[in-house]
Amino acid sequence: MSEIILPEPPPPPPDPPGPPGPPDSDRLFAWFVDGIDARWQRVEVELSAPTGGGRPDRLRLTLPDGSRLDWPLSDLRALRDQAGAKQSIVLRQDGRDPARLMLCGAEIVAHVRSVAPALDRRPPVENLGRLLKWSVAAVASVALIIFGLVPVLAAQLAMLLPPEGEKALGDATLRQIRVALNEAGATPLPACSSREGDAALLAMRGRLNAEGELPYPLQLHVLDHEMINAFALPGGHVVLFRGLIDAAQSPDEVAAVLAHEIGHVAHRDPTRGALRTAGSIGVLGLLLGDFAGGTVVLMMAQSLINASYSQAAEVKADDFAYGVLTRAEVNPAALGHFFERLREEYGDAEGIVAHFASHPTHEERIRAALEAEAAAGISATPVIPDSDWLALRRICGGTRSGVLEDVGREVGETPGGTAEAPRKGGKGRAGEAPADTGVAPTGNLDQSGSKKD
Amino acid sequence: MTPLATEYVGERGVLFRLALKASVLTVLTLGIYRFWMKTRLRRYYWSAIRPGGAPLEYTGQPLEKLLGFLVAVVVMAFYIGVVNLILMFFSFALFQGNVTAYALSFIGVLPIIFFAQYRARRYILARTRWRGIRFGLEPGAWGYAWRAMFYWALAIATLGLLYPLKAFRLEKYLIDRTHFGSMTFQQGGRWTMLYGPLKHAFYAIAVLAVSIGAAVLSDNETWLALAVLAAPWAGFAGAYWRAHSWRLLTDHKELGEVRFRSTPRAGRVLGIWLLGGFLIYLSVLAIIFALLIGVVALLAASASVEMIEFLNNLEENFDTIPAWIFTLAGIGIYFSFFLLGSALSHTFITLPMAAHFASQTQILNPEALAGIDQRARDEFAEAEGFADALDVGAAL
Repeated sequence: MSEIILPEPPPPPPDPPGPPGPPDSDRLFAWFVDGIDARWQRVEVELSAPTGGGRPDRLRLTLPDGSRLDWPLSDLRALRDQAGAKQSIVLRQDGRDPARLMLCGAEIVAHVRSVAPALDRRPPVENLGRLLKWSVAAVASVALIIFGLVPVLAAQLAMLLPPEGEKALGDATLRQIRVALNEAGATPLPACSSREGDAALLAMRGRLNAEGELPYPLQLHVLDHEMINAFALPGGHVVLFRGLIDAAQSPDEVAAVLAHEIGHVAHRDPTRGALRTAGSIGVLGLLLGDFAGGTVVLMMAQSLINASYSQAAEVKADDFAYGVLTRAEVNPAALGHFFERLREEYGDAEGIVAHFASHPTHEERIRAALEAEAAAGISATPVIPDSDWLALRRICGGTRSGVLEDVGREVGETPGGTAEAPRKGGKGRAGEAPADTGVAPTGNLDQSGSKKD
Repeated sequence: MTPLATEYVGERGVLFRLALKASVLTVLTLGIYRFWMKTRLRRYYWSAIRPGGAPLEYTGQPLEKLLGFLVAVVVMAFYIGVVNLILMFFSFALFQGNVTAYALSFIGVLPIIFFAQYRARRYILARTRWRGIRFGLEPGAWGYAWRAMFYWALAIATLGLLYPLKAFRLEKYLIDRTHFGSMTFQQGGRWTMLYGPLKHAFYAIAVLAVSIGAAVLSDNETWLALAVLAAPWAGFAGAYWRAHSWRLLTDHKELGEVRFRSTPRAGRVLGIWLLGGFLIYLSVLAIIFALLIGVVALLAASASVEMIEFLNNLEENFDTIPAWIFTLAGIGIYFSFFLLGSALSHTFITLPMAAHFASQTQILNPEALAGIDQRARDEFAEAEGFADALDVGAAL
């Protein structure tokens, strides 16, 4: 069948005979289905001109029973993305669905393509209004659930969660974080401890005296990592990184950060955050569907959502810290000074990047800190004596000089909030994550994961 | 009349280009293009299969898939968000761990997954034609969902002994509701016939059991060496099940007077898996290698005193490279592996598998097809939205 080619129309056309056809003139057959029954019929096909002459403008099909069909060339559409498209072409008529005509043979396919003007024209888009309506509905329902329902529910449930449950949640998360942060292997990142260092921390906690209202005992960890960060986890875990202690110029600055984190514990922010993540990450996963590279997008979206959740929580934790520091007669401006210096060193999160940072920009916090200092009007003393401060700086061993420049470049590496790491769990599931409350310029996405030591 | 053999005209190169282009667009559009990608790939796969020379046609549209997906998101968002949150809460409040939450969340979503799979199949069949005649699947997704839960539970509870029962009953549920035009399919045969295709799985398990049992009883660890046999045997068992369960089920399918015969081979299935896997591995290696050569060539071309100096002091200069370069490179590599992986697995696994199964399948008594008339279009506006949102639609 493939060697049979398109004939010229029976009456030789008066005009020049259309696009050049194959030279040999013979009868052409093709396969035809009418879309009414399942017969696969062999039909004769010819190019035909309108009565009264003119260029051929239609395909005339002669069915086995002798009946004829005219398919105008301008109405012919080819099926798209077909296999074997060089050797065969399946045609349909625009606007009339079920019938199909299949022509075979590379030359014939090429010839049909040259005579039919609109083979690849797409049908107009239908249902656009409906599509728009449902798009709005989908975005609205996801937004309502993620920004309305889930936070409210999480806040309520966080207060109802028994302390043992919170502790279990925090223990699991801390373990995941320590494993995720350890670049050397799959074991948890070592926690720092030394007799004098632990004593210094204890002295600091005692001086702050802020743990009275906590529903569970505070568990303070120092992790041996150069990140300038600290965070609180459900169940009373507070984690300080070695990098933060190194970057601090006075014990007051560490104490201020600690007070801030205790504030998060007191407000149960980490628990609320974990429950919120459990609710929202599944919904986000739904939105991404089965898109292969979706995990990365999922995590970015989740950190945006966290950022919007936690601005208010950060301000509240700051207020708590100023209260604690003032009562303990420790300079409440230490928090602000620490931020100010970090900003001078590393710049502030601005623009689009700031959206990913889950913390109010430093400037706002510095201002708040200075206001608190003015309001306090107290005679502050260092939170712990110098000897304890020295011990604390050596809690991870070694004899670090603690000059800020030592850790200079490393601050930029803070991966999008330490809390990101354990959130890798699959979508569609409840994941738990700590409410990160770091004080360093965390979450600067453009700097995240940039290099390893 | 002689049986109708099935031609297969799909080509690897064409499919690879189509799949690669579509997955790049999918990544660039943050996943929106996936509805177009699926549609285009299905058109290609369908049209490559030509029983009796007549290609299958896939008539689904990308926009109806997008619409169905949006509908599914509206319906599911509430369920997934609130239910997951509450499960997490109770899991920690009552069991002090998140395992319960994951397990309950999974079990809670299972019926919806089966429901979604049935609906997706209904959509796909409603958009498939052969010889101009539509296929179709009757409504019945919840009936499928509870049966699937029940038979899967049986199969798991009996450690796989009743797996053939599950496979047969679910297939029968689907096939007995499948139409081609005015005619309805029937799945004949008995569920016990599927023990044959499963025999190699039992052999592999037996080998494992014998080696461990003998090692424990005789207190001689050399018996455990026998267990090494079990892994490749299990691989063969998978291929054997795939080929021979398909054979039996196809041979027992009826469409009026029309019958079918299919003879896929386990060896070929295993060969496609192994060779496909190996070729994917090789291609990825080759691409990494080419990238490295490219980088070296680029460096050589731009070789200058500064560049050499820079490289000499790479250790110190490392920190001066802006961080975003690493981030960008990381994201680029991450996505190029996804893209390549998906395009290569279409090229080296899905296509050869489709080619083998199609070319081994024949239609007997094709003259009975003449009596089949068209069926009405199943509008089915939700398309396969639930399956897509739940990520159970698979690639095709």
